[in-house]
Amino acid sequence: MKNRLEELRKQRGIKQEELANVLEVSRQTISSLEKGRYNPSIQLAFRIARYFQMTIEEIFIYEEEQE
Amino acid sequence: MKSKVTNYITIILGLLLLAAGLYLIKTNGTAVGFPYVFVGLGCGLFGHGMGNVISERAIGSDPELKRKLDIEKNDERNIAIADKAKGKAFDMMTFVFGALMVSFALMEIDMIALLLMVSAYLFVHGFAIYYRIQFDKEM
Repeated sequence: MKNRLEELRKQRGIKQEELANVLEVSRQTISSLEKGRYNPSIQLAFRIARYFQMTIEEIFIYEEEQE
Repeated sequence: MKSKVTNYITIILGLLLLAAGLYLIKTNGTAVGFPYVFVGLGCGLFGHGMGNVISERAIGSDPELKRKLDIEKNDERNIAIADKAKGKAFDMMTFVFGALMVSFALMEIDMIALLLMVSAYLFVHGFAIYYRIQFDKEM
């Protein structure tokens, strides 16, 4: 799933390490999320959305998987 | 506090088993394999307990390190990776143990040993089915 995490993080001038610390996940998780290799649980998605004061849909872009 | 007591009990139990094992090896050569089992178990328990005590001491003096380690331990991606790896290993074990049982049967090993192995294999698969049903109810 694509997302705007990296863009939003850079806009706020935060390092991956700092974001990971706030969200209580590992830095590798933030890196994998940004690269779209890992889809977060609904709880983590909510925590991310609350941190950026946005809705989940504004951060994570859902696309139907192509056959 | 409770874990501290448990760790010290584990260390003492380990040392006692180790001492008992070594004593039995020295004094009684006829006690089949028990002394060696005692030594093995004793070393394992002692190592496990000491490891826990040392890591708790190291972490206890640094709350930030403890927090970081807790984050790493409870990180959802790390947990997902560990679960996936366990699933793959279980699938592999099914084939490896299956092949091993067939090999043992062809080698005509003792029937009791073969039946024990088949029972253990079936027990593990029964366990997997049990948890599948449990999780099916829970989720």
